[in-house]
Amino acid sequence: MQEAGRKITAWLLPAGTVLAAASLAMGYGLNELWGGAVTVGVVGAFWVVGQWRRWGWVASVALVLLIGAAAVGLWLGAGGGWMLVGVVAALVAWDLDRFAWRMRAAGRVEDADALERCHLQRLLTVSGAGLLLGAAALSLRVRLGFAVAFLLALLAVLGLSRVVGFLRREGD
Amino acid sequence: MRRVLLLGSLAYGLLFFGLATLNGGMLALAIPLVVLLGAAFLWGPGAPRLRITRSLSAESIAPGTPVVVTLSVINEGPPLEEITIGDIVPPALEVTDGEASVLTSLPTGEVVEIAYAVRGKRGVFEFQDVQVTAGERLGVFRRHAMLPVPGRFSVLPEVSKMPQVTLHPLRTRAYAGPVPARQGGSGVAFYGVREYQSGDPLRWINWRMSARHSHELFTNEFEQERVADVGLILDSRRRSDVRGRSGTLLDHAISATASLAASLLNDGNRVGLLVYGGFLDWTFPGYGKLQRKRILEALAQVEPGESMIFESFDYLPTRFFPAKSQLVLVSSLCTDDLQMLVRLRARGYQLLIVSPDPVSFEAQVLRTRPGVDLAARIAHLERALLLRKLRRAGIQVVDWQVDRPLARVVHASLGRTPQWFRAVGLEV
Repeated sequence: MQEAGRKITAWLLPAGTVLAAASLAMGYGLNELWGGAVTVGVVGAFWVVGQWRRWGWVASVALVLLIGAAAVGLWLGAGGGWMLVGVVAALVAWDLDRFAWRMRAAGRVEDADALERCHLQRLLTVSGAGLLLGAAALSLRVRLGFAVAFLLALLAVLGLSRVVGFLRREGD
Repeated sequence: MRRVLLLGSLAYGLLFFGLATLNGGMLALAIPLVVLLGAAFLWGPGAPRLRITRSLSAESIAPGTPVVVTLSVINEGPPLEEITIGDIVPPALEVTDGEASVLTSLPTGEVVEIAYAVRGKRGVFEFQDVQVTAGERLGVFRRHAMLPVPGRFSVLPEVSKMPQVTLHPLRTRAYAGPVPARQGGSGVAFYGVREYQSGDPLRWINWRMSARHSHELFTNEFEQERVADVGLILDSRRRSDVRGRSGTLLDHAISATASLAASLLNDGNRVGLLVYGGFLDWTFPGYGKLQRKRILEALAQVEPGESMIFESFDYLPTRFFPAKSQLVLVSSLCTDDLQMLVRLRARGYQLLIVSPDPVSFEAQVLRTRPGVDLAARIAHLERALLLRKLRRAGIQVVDWQVDRPLARVVHASLGRTPQWFRAVGLEV
């Protein structure tokens, strides 16, 4: 039962990585940005190899590279939808990579099946919410004056600063 | 922290890149990251309030015997979605069974147990803290805590069965025991003859001598056997220790001291222990099983020590030992120890030295080469000369090559082998 539970992560992890790389590559490819598509493909392949060889540091490096690639792709005019899916899939793969590492690092896992099920439920909820909100943000067209936009950006930065500050202060 | 920092930096990066390029899509890309951080903020765990108790299956054990460590963890605080509880095992211990850490979720009031077995070489092992990492399900926000849960156990030195060690101290204690007391009375070995006194048992009368004197009777006297005060001294100076293939010479010396202490206490003697090395570790003299435990506990902690003061035996505190008592020194001996040992003998202490041979021990490690062989021969000669000088000063010396069992060597040197047994060449 425990092994079966772990198989879901073992299957979802490379699937998420491939989806992230494929989505970003597709976004680049559809706009004939072949260099970007190949780079993203190489990063995805590197991450899969890292998962196979259990190189713990690869996940964070690959996440930064793929999100950076999504931002650059969007700036170069690649499809926002593909980029958003790529970012969400990269986040899911990164989270599953960390989860698999925690499971391996612990000597004993109590009720691994339930632990994994709850983790996947939470991940699905959060990534689904992120994807929906991101898609909504991409499709919304609101015209704002400079002052309002600046104020909203300032609020966003301040809010995010508070969250990050709290998590850093209270966490490890 | 690194996860929060990573996600926060990426979200900030996208926000600033979006503002810089006036591209609203960048803000949309940042949203999944912000949602992930928000979820961590929302479901983040409170400070874990856990009650952890540690139990050990034994407080002191023989080498190689496993000890089962059990940690019982009760959550007395808010529910913890994902928690890793890991015991910090002293590095010298080897986990032989079970796991020292567990990953689980722990609702309020729930209990989780961690049980594992450890094994180690001689020493005292102290458990200090238990490491706890509590996080929300996605593991972005995690709290670490080190909770003190002390525990301690000792791996005692190996004790081998020893033959009865014959001691001849000048002074003995009042209680009956195995040590010849140099006084006439009731005993086994013939001591002398004296005039008959009323109350003497008839079977003790020496009829042959009484027949030669017409009006007097004579009684045989036997040597009284009593217990003795024995001071064990273990030399733990680093300069007299040698590292070999199978541990150090000090390990062998410790094992020998433990065996001697067990044997002497078994015979009813009062035994104290002084460990002489980096500092003085004194175990007050005592009798019986409790004293045996105390001495073994003290020996379990012995490490080679280095000190300017205790580099030579000049500061050996003789006041610890009763006057004219028996001292047993376990030491590989250095050349400059001779003076002090002869001085001890001159003060009236009966001195027995059990000396593990450092030259043979070190020669086993070194490769055979002409230079090494010559050096070993010179060192052997120096040691033989030192031992001869000690014997000439009236000190009993047991020269022990540690690859031979101590019991056999001690028996051959000090055991009570019958005279006739030796006369026909049947030395043990």
